[in-house]
Amino acid sequence: MKYALYLGCTVQTEQYGYEASVRTTMPRLGVELVDMTGVSCCGFPPFSSVSELAWLYSSARNMAIAEGMGLPIFALCNGCHLSFVETKHKLEHSPELKAKMNEKLAREGLRYEGKAELIHIFELLHDVVGKDKITAAVSNPLEGLRFAAHPGCHAIRPSRIGRPDDPENPKKLDDLITWLGAEAADYPEKIDCCGSSLAAASGKTVLDIAGEKLKAVKRRGFDGLVTTCPFCFKVYDNKQRAIQATVGDRELEVPVFYYTQLLGLAIGVDQESLGLDLNQSPIDPVLEKIGGK
Amino acid sequence: MKPVLVIGGGIAGIQASLDLADRGTKVHLVERTPSIGGVMAQLDKTFPTMDCSICILAPKMIECYRHPNITIHTQSEVIGLEGNVGDFRIKVLEHPRSVDATKCTGCALCSEKCPVKKPSAFQVGLGQRKAIYLAFPQAVPLIATIDREACLWFTKGVCRTCEKVCTSKAVDYEQKENIVDLNVSSVIVATGFEQYDPKDIGEYGYGRYKNVLTALEFERLVCASGPTGGVLNRPSDGKVSHNIAFIQCVGSRTQTSGYSYCSASCCMYATKEAVLIKEHEPSSHVTIFYMDLKTFGKGFQGFVDRARSHWGVEYIRGRPGEIREDPVTKNLTILYENTEVGRVERLDADLVVLCTAAIPHRDNAKLATVLGIGQDEYGFFANPDPVASPVETDRPGIYSCGSCHGPRDIPESVAEASATAAKAAEDAARAEGVA
Repeated sequence: MKYALYLGCTVQTEQYGYEASVRTTMPRLGVELVDMTGVSCCGFPPFSSVSELAWLYSSARNMAIAEGMGLPIFALCNGCHLSFVETKHKLEHSPELKAKMNEKLAREGLRYEGKAELIHIFELLHDVVGKDKITAAVSNPLEGLRFAAHPGCHAIRPSRIGRPDDPENPKKLDDLITWLGAEAADYPEKIDCCGSSLAAASGKTVLDIAGEKLKAVKRRGFDGLVTTCPFCFKVYDNKQRAIQATVGDRELEVPVFYYTQLLGLAIGVDQESLGLDLNQSPIDPVLEKIGGK
Repeated sequence: MKPVLVIGGGIAGIQASLDLADRGTKVHLVERTPSIGGVMAQLDKTFPTMDCSICILAPKMIECYRHPNITIHTQSEVIGLEGNVGDFRIKVLEHPRSVDATKCTGCALCSEKCPVKKPSAFQVGLGQRKAIYLAFPQAVPLIATIDREACLWFTKGVCRTCEKVCTSKAVDYEQKENIVDLNVSSVIVATGFEQYDPKDIGEYGYGRYKNVLTALEFERLVCASGPTGGVLNRPSDGKVSHNIAFIQCVGSRTQTSGYSYCSASCCMYATKEAVLIKEHEPSSHVTIFYMDLKTFGKGFQGFVDRARSHWGVEYIRGRPGEIREDPVTKNLTILYENTEVGRVERLDADLVVLCTAAIPHRDNAKLATVLGIGQDEYGFFANPDPVASPVETDRPGIYSCGSCHGPRDIPESVAEASATAAKAAEDAARAEGVA
């Protein structure tokens, strides 16, 4: 199990906890991560409203680099993964666009064939590593804790171009949580958007939307919220104080984790290596319950 | 005069058979299931008159059974057709009932004692039947049949309880399938439709949320001969539902999951079911989510107006985007845009009914091949000239009526059935050199 690790801009510039926890946990499950050199931004699909070509080019360029490495791309961020999947889909269906991309890529000596395999963290952990390996690796089961899984919109939509989980009833993150010994329960707000896509247009709307979800998670008695998307994490964790102010509830406290942080805690990685210091939501009560090293 | 073959024993096939038989033409009526009646037999009431469905249908079914000019072949299918209009040679495969039709009295003692339970197709899976059973109380013919895939004697070689309890010695495990050769002048196809499976529309949670039903399931729930005797006990907890919402165009008028056409009867049957809820309990709150209300039939608009003004049924224009279930109470919340006011809103409901599309039957392709007739882009039987010859298929002497060639309501199916009977009678007469 060897993958080209594509971190993406958000993870590299501010979501270090995700990168740290991925780098420390994956090798323990037999996943070898190879850093990519010369990669750029994934292209960021909203860019397409300015220039579709610029988006496709950035995206295809990164995939061309992975093709050169002969490895599947493991993109940490839901948004980056979607960008690659969408680009691959578009270029598959338009030989003209593909030819145009290759014309531009040739200037750097790169070539995009469309062979690069793309893997999402849900697919990697749930379908490739699998239940047996994960449960066998757990030395410190997260018993007595109940988490709300938040897969994030871009992990499940658009539903018709190959996303890693069911768009209406995503279950993989729930499975992954239960494999660590914790409980994951279905809740009606599970597929609610974090709001972050609206950040550029209306910051307050983002906080309102995110507040509704955090209130539901708290009301339903979860010990915390778990995600693998850096954008969602950024809203629910990093902006939690701002959310409290917006919804006018200082008591609205919900511990937020990257799944890989919980995975690390369960398989016995020390807390410092998981970037838990960088979580800004009140995670200490959960850490106390977990105990461990 | 040569007989006419009618394929399908629902309301359309029954009407066509009766019209032909009454004018002196012999009819062979071939029905796939153990009883004639079709979907109409499963309905509680009919729109826009709110007549009891089985009360209209049962006399016609019995008339079919007793009519000297009609021969009914149940549990049968047409497997071969050769020749041309005026002289079709047909092969009908009769599956064994494992019960002697000449001896069975329909007393149902056998099913009372049968130890095997299976979901009842008549109750759309909401109720159960036995391995030896009568399809429904008013089944025609009223003769028991053994489901060989469920029966302990056929699967495990044990039991034979039905044989022991049958006072008329009608049970016959040795019955074989039988091929009947017919020579007919023309053929009427009236094989009906099936329901779209809303599981494909994940956002409505059908199959995942117990209190989300299809309209046909609801029809059984609200019916006095249904599994709850007509009490609206919802599936999750048996609680009587007073707050019910209907969603229109589930699997129809869509470019994504389902079919692009209008399913024709849903606006009206939803209104009918809404009025039924109000008749049962006037304080109930009933909402119908619609895209457009299609009330083009005779008396239809007046029926909807009355549902709104007299019964207080609420109509909201908007196609819901999602249904959510409370994990504890199993109550449902519908998320939608009310497009009349341009606002995103939510509505809570005890029970949600999905008005699913009528879709081509899965066996249409098989039958089309046997009969040598065409299908349209969706899989319904095709009518090459739908304006001037709406019941003629692309093969002379073969006609179609009812929901087998597109979604139809009952009045339209009946009218088309009579039209095919007239066409078929012409062929029969011409074959004799009478016309």
